[in-house]
Amino acid sequence: MSDWAGVFIFLVVALIFGAGGIVTSFLIHPRRQNPAKLEEYECGLPTRGPTWVQFRTSYFLYALLFVIFDVETIYLYPWAVKFQSLGLFAFIEMIIFIFILIVGLWYAWKEGALEWK
Amino acid sequence: MMPFDPSALTLEMLVAALGLGVLILGLIVPHGSRHGLGWLSFFGLLGIMGVALSMWGDNRELLSGMYLLDNYALFWKITFMLSAALVILGCMRYVDSMGGQAEYYSMIIFATLGMMVMASAGDFITLYLGLELMTIAFIILVCFRKMEAKSVEAGMKYILLAGMSSAVLLYGLSLLYGLTGSVIILEVSRIIALQPVTPALVLAVVMLVAGLGFKISAVPFHMWTPDVYEGAPTPVTSFLAMGSKAASFAILLRLFIAGLPGIWENWTMVVAILAAVTIIFGNLVAIPQTNVKRLLAYSSIAQAGYILVGLVTATEAGIKGVMFYAFLYVFATVGAFTVATYFYHVTGSDELKDYAGLSQRSPLMAAVMLVAMLSMAGIPPLAGFVGKFYLFKTIVDGYLWLVFIGLIMSMVSVYYYLRVALVMYRDEPADPTPIKLPSPVAVTLIVAMVVTLVIGIYPGPLSEVVNEAAHTFFMH
Amino acid sequence: MLVEFALYHAWLVPLLPALAFGVIVFLTRPWPKLSAIVAVGSMAVACFFATLAAYGVFTNHEFVEKPLVYATRWFSLGLPGMPEVQIDVGVQLDPTSAMMLFMVSFIATFIFLYSIGYMEGDPGFSVFFSYLSLFGASMLLLVISSNLLQMFVAWGLVGLCSYLLIGFYSHKISAREAAKKAFVTCRVADFGLLLGLLALQIVFGTLNLTELSEKIAHFEEYTTFGMLTLIAVLVFIGPIGKSGQFPLHVWLPDAMEGPTPVSALIHAATMVVAGVYLVGRTLFLFHEVPSAMQLVAVTGGFTALFAATIAITQREIKRILAYSTVSQLGYMMLALGVGSLTASMFHLWTHAFFKALMFLGAGSVLHALHHKADVWEMGGLYKKMPITTWTFVIGGLAIAGIPPFAGFWSKDEILVATLSEGHYVLFAVGAFTAFLTAFYMWRMIFLAFFGEEKPENHPHESPWTMTVPLVVLAVGALGAGWVGTPWHNVWAEWIFFGHPHHGPVNYGAMLLSIVLAAAGIYLAYMLYLKDAKKKRARRLAEWFGPVYRMLYNKYYIDELYLWFNHALVDGTARLMYLFDIYVVDGIVNGIGGFAKLSGDGLRVFQSGRLQNYALIFFLGVLAVAVLMAFTGPSAASLVLGGVK
Repeated sequence: MSDWAGVFIFLVVALIFGAGGIVTSFLIHPRRQNPAKLEEYECGLPTRGPTWVQFRTSYFLYALLFVIFDVETIYLYPWAVKFQSLGLFAFIEMIIFIFILIVGLWYAWKEGALEWK
Repeated sequence: MMPFDPSALTLEMLVAALGLGVLILGLIVPHGSRHGLGWLSFFGLLGIMGVALSMWGDNRELLSGMYLLDNYALFWKITFMLSAALVILGCMRYVDSMGGQAEYYSMIIFATLGMMVMASAGDFITLYLGLELMTIAFIILVCFRKMEAKSVEAGMKYILLAGMSSAVLLYGLSLLYGLTGSVIILEVSRIIALQPVTPALVLAVVMLVAGLGFKISAVPFHMWTPDVYEGAPTPVTSFLAMGSKAASFAILLRLFIAGLPGIWENWTMVVAILAAVTIIFGNLVAIPQTNVKRLLAYSSIAQAGYILVGLVTATEAGIKGVMFYAFLYVFATVGAFTVATYFYHVTGSDELKDYAGLSQRSPLMAAVMLVAMLSMAGIPPLAGFVGKFYLFKTIVDGYLWLVFIGLIMSMVSVYYYLRVALVMYRDEPADPTPIKLPSPVAVTLIVAMVVTLVIGIYPGPLSEVVNEAAHTFFMH
Repeated sequence: MLVEFALYHAWLVPLLPALAFGVIVFLTRPWPKLSAIVAVGSMAVACFFATLAAYGVFTNHEFVEKPLVYATRWFSLGLPGMPEVQIDVGVQLDPTSAMMLFMVSFIATFIFLYSIGYMEGDPGFSVFFSYLSLFGASMLLLVISSNLLQMFVAWGLVGLCSYLLIGFYSHKISAREAAKKAFVTCRVADFGLLLGLLALQIVFGTLNLTELSEKIAHFEEYTTFGMLTLIAVLVFIGPIGKSGQFPLHVWLPDAMEGPTPVSALIHAATMVVAGVYLVGRTLFLFHEVPSAMQLVAVTGGFTALFAATIAITQREIKRILAYSTVSQLGYMMLALGVGSLTASMFHLWTHAFFKALMFLGAGSVLHALHHKADVWEMGGLYKKMPITTWTFVIGGLAIAGIPPFAGFWSKDEILVATLSEGHYVLFAVGAFTAFLTAFYMWRMIFLAFFGEEKPENHPHESPWTMTVPLVVLAVGALGAGWVGTPWHNVWAEWIFFGHPHHGPVNYGAMLLSIVLAAAGIYLAYMLYLKDAKKKRARRLAEWFGPVYRMLYNKYYIDELYLWFNHALVDGTARLMYLFDIYVVDGIVNGIGGFAKLSGDGLRVFQSGRLQNYALIFFLGVLAVAVLMAFTGPSAASLVLGGVK
């Protein structure tokens, strides 16, 4: 029981502490507005032009394709180092792996991901 | 260590090959004749299902428990493939009108692959891999109608919230790894049984509940469900409602019943309360809905609550109940959503008021909708009744309050299900032209209806299959 | 080889017409001809299998003692703390069910065939055949059932189909009313049966016929005599309704509102004999309770006489036939009540042939006269409709009990059984009813088929699909009784309850029934054919005016029920209605309103804003964490693990 009371008191005090500050400031703060107060930031430069700048989606497509072949290379290194001891099975596995990536590249190419229009 | 036998992964490899094959064919085949891809995917999945049937009874562990092959997993895999095949069969027209067939079907197949990996997952990494494969495929599918704001919005919401839930799940999994030093579920189970229960462990369990609760859309992790269900193309919604949910249940059972039985007392009550809240919330909010897809979304939340009941006792009977219900839920969902899909295809509307007089325009569609909904409401002699019976039977001892909540909310659910029936059967149609069903859609509908009826009247065989499947769950 | 197959796959017999139902409803409905072929074809194949199965049973005498039973688990219910309930679906083949299987499928095949001609051009042609198929399938399922629950399901299906078929001409108010009447009356009776079945399940823990018969043979181990009596009476209520026994016979004469093939099917092969069959199947139960047997016998005897007296005065051809059915069913019940399964099933068997024949004959007449039903407006039909007339005459001879036609042998069997059990009053009732039967049947025949032709009628013979069944059934009405002649009674060696009893040939009873039948026919001849102006008949009706009117109005039973309904049921209903409106609806609407309100309230959270969703998600995580901390077995230590 005593354990729980401790937790409860802690919770209540924490609530009062947090809420108290906000409530107090709400009650006593002066309600005068001026342009400076209405700025988004009180320091730094005001923004110019539209903030929502659009990027071409082709950037992402290039990036994705780049990552795919990056990862492929990372896989190929350890495989190449151990190639002698891994045997035929690993060789076929790697061919399947590369085949799947090639299909992906083919798909992206065919769907026009590599064209900058 | 036993040498790795690649033939154990036959099913997964075949499905992957099918998905890739469909994608490649989409590149080669000219635009005009791509509707054949749907048939290819459908028959491909059926064929792989045939292979799957021949693997019944093959129970073993691969790679020291990383990948589990048993009847339990196989039953789920067949369920996933079946639901994918039915979704494909029912939506071919719809997809043809939408375009992008190759991507669409291959994404469905890859999502299925992800589910299958989940069903067999024996460690956290494999689990997560399957989960993400499924989720990413679904994200693409949800925003497939990329010219429509609603669809894209749904996709955006899904990707952000799914990412968040995945993060939470990963935290949970890594906490478990940190506490036990293993990622293999069965190993974790052994180590946890020896350890005292620490707050960190409880926190890990909480995060697992939250992460997977998101996938099965259990309240309070369900917020994404109605928006995403409404925005996504309807066939995707139906696949999301049954496939994704069923797969998450498969892994939920594996994680909690096989992985965390040692601290059973700690999570069982939480699951019971979650189930109760989900049942209550889903059914209550479904009542005021005026959009059929949203109504089905909330009803699917409620259904998830019912299925969650099977997890509470963590026994074989509970597992059996979950599997049984998930299987029949596939057919009810396919029925209801295929009607909604085709109705949208013809009229361009998902609003309930436009369903007025559907019984006159297409008796089959109205009948299937009615049967599916009554089954979900658990009215005998339909399958839903038997399923609910099996689920609630397990908790009569000890969780009587949950049984009562389930019963009362079932009655409440009859209200909104019958409201749909009333609109379809009583009201006069604004546009009385009959709706002609293309034969694939008609076949899907009839299969859904007949199976729902047959399981309801003669549940014996399915119940035995499920028994056998649930039995292998504890074999490892 | 094929016989073996038929024996062990007897479930195919009901399955085939059931499949035909599905095929017609889902596939062939737009093509009436094809639907008819599907229905008739499936029933014919079913009949083929049924014949083989019956052959298999009747060539192997061991099935008499040990029925062939095979079943599969339908479902089993197990709740913690209760014994598990296991229900099977299965097939029980013994001579009785094999005979029924053959008879039902055989007669149904010919009625189906007949319907092609009769229903030609009807807009609901395909639908009609789908209903017929389902009707046949339900009855066949009922016949082969190995347990009472399965039988009850089929029983209910039969009731449903009768509802659909009687009300088939749904544009006619009278048809709709008749369908409703049949359904409601039967449901009332079914409730009694259902209670009886529940009691059987609770007391004996099984509904399988074979197990029940073993357990009831020494029922003292399970229950008291009083309980068993109650069960027997409850079970008997079902057949009272289904087989049109007094006082629940009211629906049966109205059931002729359906198309005539349906009446034939209901009256001859399916539906009404289901009640007799059920009592026959559960005779081991009644056998233990002499008072229940008495009840069955008296009900049967009374119904036989009661219905026969009504039939004397009726004018519509199908209505006369309907009352004759009620009367004949009374005979069958009477036979069961005196403990003779042999006689009852025998009469059921012969009756099926001649009653189907006569209904189809009546249908042929109605078809020719464009549905003019009053026998007084017919006359002299024999010239234009020879086949119909002569087959009808054979039916009339059979039902009147003239040797060597089928009805004679079975009726004689019943009378002898009644006499040998010492029920002299019932014997007298039966014998007098036989006289009445001969009289009213031949009154109808003389009025409708003989005498002067009416110039306003233009009858014509019906097409071959209608006459062929008539001829086939006429052959049955002639010869179906020869299997059970008193001198060489093959029937009694196969179908009996307990042990076969084979009394000496009772020439006295035989002679009496022939004399009574002949007297009845002669009286009818004198009144309705010889006396062309029918003066004597009119005078008789005037002399017995009140009696005549009472009979013509069927003892005012319908009116009595109507009054009862108005006074009591409606009054109570009004009270209940008020209770329902203010109390029950109030509660329900209250719950519904609450559910709706809370639904609306909870909906607010679904704002569509992603940030809110994420927030709720994490609040959910928090809630689950708190919940888990509080519900776990060592909650305090979990939360304050570090503190302690």
